Parts: sequence; structure tokens; C-alpha cells
Amino acid sequence: MTRHVWMIGGAQGLGIDTSAIIFGNAIAKAGYYIFGNREYYSNIKGRHSYFQVVFDEKRIFSVSSYTDILATFDAETLFQHFTEVRDYVIYGIDYENTSLDMVKSIEPEIAEEIKKELKNGFTVKDVINYLTAKGVKVIKVNYLEYLKKIADTFKLPLSVVERSKNMIAVGASFGLLGLPFELLKNAIQETFKNELFLKFNTMVAEMGYNLAPNAYHLTVREVKKDRIQVDGNTISALGKLAGGLRFQSYYPITPASDESTYIEANQNLDVIVEGGELRKGGAVVVQAEDELAAINMAIGAALTGARAATATSGPGFSLMSEGISWAGMNEVPVVITYYMRGAPATGLPTRSGQADLKFALNVGHGEFPRIVIASGDHAEIFWDAIWALNLAEKYQTPVIHIIEKTLANSYTILDEDLLTSAPVKIERGKIVYPTTERFNRFEITEDGISPRAFLGYSSIFYTGDEHNEEGHITEASNNRLKMYEKRMKKLETADKEIPEEQRVNVIGDGENVLLTWGSPKGAILDAMDDMNKEGLSVMMVQVKMFNPYPVTLMKKLLEGKKRVIAIENNYQAQGAEILAEKTGIFATNYILKWNGRPIAREEIIYAVKLIIKNGEKKVVLSYGA
Amino acid sequence: MERKPVFNDWCPGCGNFGILRAEEMALRELGIDSKKIVIVSGIGCSGKIPHFIELPISGVHTLHGRSIAFATGIKTANPSLEVVVNVGDGDGVGIGMGHFVHLGRRNLDITVIIHNNGVYALTKGQASPTLGRGVKTKSLPRPNINDAVNPLAVALAAGYTFVARGYAYDITHLKELIKKGIKHKGSAVIEVLQPCPTYNDVNTKEWYDKRVYKLDNDPAWDPVVKREEETKTKFEKAMMKVMELGEKISLGVFYQNEFIPTFEERLEQNIPNYREFYPAIQPIELKGIGTTKITELIKAKRV
Repeated sequence: MTRHVWMIGGAQGLGIDTSAIIFGNAIAKAGYYIFGNREYYSNIKGRHSYFQVVFDEKRIFSVSSYTDILATFDAETLFQHFTEVRDYVIYGIDYENTSLDMVKSIEPEIAEEIKKELKNGFTVKDVINYLTAKGVKVIKVNYLEYLKKIADTFKLPLSVVERSKNMIAVGASFGLLGLPFELLKNAIQETFKNELFLKFNTMVAEMGYNLAPNAYHLTVREVKKDRIQVDGNTISALGKLAGGLRFQSYYPITPASDESTYIEANQNLDVIVEGGELRKGGAVVVQAEDELAAINMAIGAALTGARAATATSGPGFSLMSEGISWAGMNEVPVVITYYMRGAPATGLPTRSGQADLKFALNVGHGEFPRIVIASGDHAEIFWDAIWALNLAEKYQTPVIHIIEKTLANSYTILDEDLLTSAPVKIERGKIVYPTTERFNRFEITEDGISPRAFLGYSSIFYTGDEHNEEGHITEASNNRLKMYEKRMKKLETADKEIPEEQRVNVIGDGENVLLTWGSPKGAILDAMDDMNKEGLSVMMVQVKMFNPYPVTLMKKLLEGKKRVIAIENNYQAQGAEILAEKTGIFATNYILKWNGRPIAREEIIYAVKLIIKNGEKKVVLSYGA
Repeated sequence: MERKPVFNDWCPGCGNFGILRAEEMALRELGIDSKKIVIVSGIGCSGKIPHFIELPISGVHTLHGRSIAFATGIKTANPSLEVVVNVGDGDGVGIGMGHFVHLGRRNLDITVIIHNNGVYALTKGQASPTLGRGVKTKSLPRPNINDAVNPLAVALAAGYTFVARGYAYDITHLKELIKKGIKHKGSAVIEVLQPCPTYNDVNTKEWYDKRVYKLDNDPAWDPVVKREEETKTKFEKAMMKVMELGEKISLGVFYQNEFIPTFEERLEQNIPNYREFYPAIQPIELKGIGTTKITELIKAKRV
């Protein structure tokens, strides 16, 4: 067992992300793979946020329901997470006497649960006693003393150096692992551009490092390939850019915006032109006034021939509904990257969820082909982003690419060649450059796909009304029948042309199918070995494309299986409902979680056992502060 | 390809005919290559205008209220196109008011023509946002209880750099305004007062004919900002003048300022070759393989 779990927490705005990224980066430099998950409130400063970093010698994809090391620099983190700690807790003596009641940011519902667990005595000291009684070892830190030292050394006010508390905790954690400090130092160096900040952060990290014993004796592993550290928002942006995206419009929304701001920050691209030379090519990013504008700007851009997309999450996607319908009617290739979060309404705006699958499949009034794909891990996101752009142009219709918050805000370590070893294939479908004065944009064809010309090359008409081949309005019955059928036929064409094997991921073979889509894939993959060792006879079937649905393959995979266990981050098991609708095969059991937190690897093992060994019908999961 | 004529189904006497003719004449006289012209419209009677234009232009008949958003995408992805947006009053400053305001902030080089007839005609004559309080046009069950919005005052406040008003029954004058608007560098808006013979029995042709007058007839009226320092005074004068919508209604150009950078120029600041290598014409593949190199971006993420 080489999986290790580390967690750091603290008030939002105090550098939790930075510390977790530095810590993870240092571990990656030591040759380990990582899955790092970020949990935070819809808040700017003060609320409890935490970052779990799981690392292993092999690639990993999920969070865990426990932590080996808990690094804290405030009382709330201890209160929120003490039940999860297995080996070490790092805490400051300056908040030793803080009681639960003094931590105002803890929600009353959570405080009640903590009290139940602690029974009597509700201070940090009581928490520490609880932990030591369970065999957890304690690293005590006098944060104030260290900070004073730094303040004195650099002649800075205490308030300036106070933020570097997190680096003491990171240093101590790294010390526990027994990895060389040099790696952490390098990671810090790559993060802080300001010389002074770099100096004192390195110094406090080293102080922290020296106060911890070498407890895990980890060694630096040889790495043969270049690896990158990347989150879901960024890798989606990278995929889109590699796939030729040249226009993105968006309205700020969590957890989608980071993708668009990354594209804007890197909009001057290197493009290979004929002859092999490099030329700069720009991707335009427009921050729109609302999501209505965002989708319709992207559609407008697509009409000119630019590969165009938008990125949003549930509330914004709701507003885009009418625009998507127009794009369907006018056969516009546009990609909507749908970052799914906790719904309905504002729901859990910074947490994850899979409750909008059916919405994505049915968005927009009327019947038209909506291609819907969902990614299950970071590397998939990259290739799916390219795939989405290709599908949109090939079938001239909106493509919805689902990425959940769990993947958007988590980061991972990837071998670079996962992204670079295969060429990026670009399929633009039937594009023509007419020389005639007028062009029939909606020519009726056998496969439903009409030749497409861009605005600026001929006289071309588009309208949201039913139209004839020229794109002019007509309500004639016969035309309606033909034009409608032509649009819908594209879905049949897509269904024929896209290999079903590309639409489903299958891992392992067994009599119990773990049926899933999106991020739960990660927890299942990471749990696979252990489940097999326990003789659970499981295989994973991950649906990647929901429309057109891989009917034949799914039937082949699922028919005759002992159990079909649907694993999803929603209440209704929507993916399983789509399966039933399309194939007539029903899930037999359910593992569901709708608290907005990702499914942990251990939760899968626990729930699958309950189902297979104890005959439970349905298991509802709840891990995650 | 022989084009079948599109039957124009506006009501006889509709002000839209005047706008259609003026727009067509303006485009013809400007000598712009028709295939480079994109007319974007929303929903309502005005929305059908691209289909009725006889020149071989392109038309994008969009959603109710969203034409400006579509036009923004079209123009930013391909700044070589000449983009004209025709909106109705309900379409442009009712359901689409958000986009109308934000276009001004961007000063994108496109022209917006507002067909203002005071009513939602295609849905049988409900009050539009430009109909005055207390006015009872014939379909209203009771007199209108909302005040009217003045689209041009909003446009000025939002940052449009060309603001004008025309009258649908003065085609020659309107044509000149449209030409000026199209030639203007930046976001242009032209409000066109337009009787609706079917549903607006208050603001009729006779009603307008008595009230409209042309600013051009006043030699002292000069709406063009010629030196940057004039901006404030010219803007203030324009703001006063656009409010003139009572017994006297002013027609003409209220404000023109080319000192404000356009959206295209702002993009050019960030993307130096944006003008000549804009999104719509960038080749993204060679023999089916992507040509965008992301090697450096990936390298930046190396551990």
C-alpha cells in the first residue's frame, strides 16, 4: 500500500491553495503521482477551505475518506477534520485553548456533530486528546515564535509574515515524509516571484521541515518522462486551444471561469503555417454581459468559421437554453463546456454534482441533435475538448462537454506524453468556399449534413424560424417535414459514424458492473485492485457519450450480468435512467452521493461490499466536510 | 443560383418599408461588397428585414433580444465584415436592453438600427418600452402605466459614439444617417421613429409629421467631436437634445466621437496581429492535423 493522504485546511484567503499546490509540486518532483482536491465555500475570505492531496507511485484519480497527515494552522481545521486523521496532526499551540464555540465560522449543523463526537470538552486540547487516545501522533508548532523570528530577521511587521504560517505547516509535513528539503525549496521558488516573499517563505518552510521527524521514509523515485501538474479548468483550455478554438465568450461563474481566464492569458498562440513556419495566432476571449450573450456571441463567431465555445455551469447553462435551441435549428457548430456543480438554483455553488445530466440532454426547446459527452479524468478532458470541437463541426450542431467541479478544481500529475504522443486530429466536416453569389446553407442531403460556408463568402441566410434550403422563412408543411428530418438525421449519421467503443470506457471484467460516468470513475479505478483482491468480481463501465447513446455496446456489456450498480453524484441515478430509456436495461443497485463532495475511493469499496456481500439495494454516501 | 423572391409580409403602410429602402440604398451607395455585409436582426416585424433586402447580403435572423450578442460574435471573429443590426423597440430595448447597453461599453464597430413604433406589433399591439405613460394605443386594455425609456439617452450613457434619430417616412434623410452610422468608427445607433398603421393609432404618420424637424437645418448644430476636449460639452448637448420627444421631435445626428478606441482596437492591444489574422481566417489544421502548438503551455506546467 503506497497511497498516502495529506490534508491542509484553513480560512479562505490564507493561502490554502498555494500551500497545497507547492506541497503537491514538491512531491511530484520526488516522482510521485497526485490527485489534489480543493473544497471551499462560496466566500472570499474567512470560511473554512481545505485541500486534500493524495499521492502514490502509480497514477491516481480520487480522494480518500481519511487523511494520514492533517496540517493545520487554525482551530477550525482541527474541529472539521479530526475524525479523518490516521497518523499525524500538525497544530499550533497558539490555538490550543480555542473552544468550538469561539469558532464563529463553523455552521451550527456541523458544530452539533462535532460535539456529539467529542462528547465532553470542546477545545482544541480536547481534540488533541481524542486523537492521541486513538494513536495519532502530534506535531506541536509554536507558530508565533517562528513568525517573530522571521519578522526580526527580515525587519518586517508581523502582519506581513503572518501568512507564511502555511509554509511552516507544509515544511513540517514534508519533513514527516522524509523527502529532501531541496525539492520543497524548488517548488517554493517556482511559486513566489517576489524575492523577499521567496526568502522568508523558504526559511519558515525549512524551520517547519526541521521540527518534524522522518516518519514515512519516502524516497525520491526515478522519473523517466516529463510530467505536468494541471487542474481540470486548465487542461480543458489546453484541449480547446490544441483543437483550434479561436473564440470563447463567457460570463463569470464558479467553477467555469478559470478556463476562460486561462485562455485569455495565453491567447497569443503559436500556429504552424504552410511550410512549417510558426506564426502568432490569437484566440479572442470576450467576457460577456450575461450567459445569454455568452452563448449567442459564440454562435455568431461560429458562423464566421472560427471554432467557438463558451464555458459555464448550471445557472448559466439554464440561461443559454434558448441560444442552444437556435444553434440546433441553424446547425451551428458550437461547444458548451458545462462545469457541473451542486444544483438546483444556486445550490452548492462551489461543490460538485451530477444532477444536470438530463438537463444537458434536453436543453433547449424542440427536437434537434445535441451531442453530449462527459469526461471522467483530466487526460480525458483534454482529448474530449478536442473531440467536442470536431463533433460540433462534423455534425454542425451544439456539443455539450460535461466536466464536474470535482475535476475542474482538482489537480493531477500527468505524464506529458499522454497529451503529446498522439497527433491532434482536426475534422471540420463539410466546409465549402462558394464562388456563387448566393449559397444554399441548408441543402437537403442523404446524411442530413449540408455543405457549410462561412459568413463573408456568399449570400447566406440563417433564421430561427423553420426555413427552406436557402435559409429563408417558410411554414410550408412539406418543407417542414423534410428540413426537420434532415436536422434529426444528423444524429443518426453521428450514431453510425462514431465507434461505440469511443463512447464507453470498460475496465476489468466481472459479474458485477459498476456503471458510472464523469468523476466517480476515479474512485472506482483507484478501488479496483482492492475490490478484486476481496473477490468482488467487478468491472467498470463508464459512459462517455450520452447522445448519441452507445446502445448496442451497452447491451452487449450489461446483458446477463449479475448486478448493474449505478454509481453517481446525484439522487436519481440519471445516467442509469438514460441507460434504461435507451436499452431497457435497469440498474439493480445504486451507490449515490449528493452532498456536493467527490466520492472517495474507500467509499466505493465499502458500498460495493455492502451491496455484493450484504445484499443492500442502495447505499448513500456522505463523506466530506 | 437563381433567387426566388421573398414575399414581404409587412402590413401595407408599415414604417418598416421606409427603413428597408433607406438601408438598401445606403448599402448600395456606400458600394460595400454585398457578401461582406451581414444584417443581424431579432424577433418581431423588424426581425424579418434581412430576408427582404434585395442585395445579395447575408442575413442572420436571431432570437428575441439577442441580435447584438450574435453580431458581437460575428464582428469580433471576423472584423472584415460590415455588420448592421436591426432591432425592434421591444426587441432591442425591452428584452434585449442588457446587450444594447453593453455594446456601448465596447464601442464595437457595428451599426444598430432601432425600429421604434411603440408597440409589440407581431403579438398584436402590446405596449413597448418606448410607449409613453398614459398612452392608450388601440390594443391596450388600459392606458400604459409605464414610463417610456429613451433609447438614445441610454445609448449616450452607455458609451455609443454615434447617436442619431431618423424617421421612417423620410427615406432620403434616413439613408444619409445610416450611411454616416456605417462609416462611423465605433458603435453607432440610429433610432427610427416608425408609425405602426395597424396597432399604434396614437403615434401616427400625421402625429409625427407635425412634430419632427431636422437638426441639419440649424447651422449652429455640430454634433461631431473634433477635438478630444470638446467631448464633455458635445456629450451634454446631445443628452439634452435626444430628450426632445414632445411637441417638437429632433431628427439627425446628436453625437459623434471617434476618439474612443473601438473594441477591435482594444483587442489589437492584446493580440497584435488581430486585424490581419483574426479568428475566422486562421487555419487550424494541415492535412487534418492541428496546427496550434501548445508545447510551451504544457512546459510551463512541468513539475
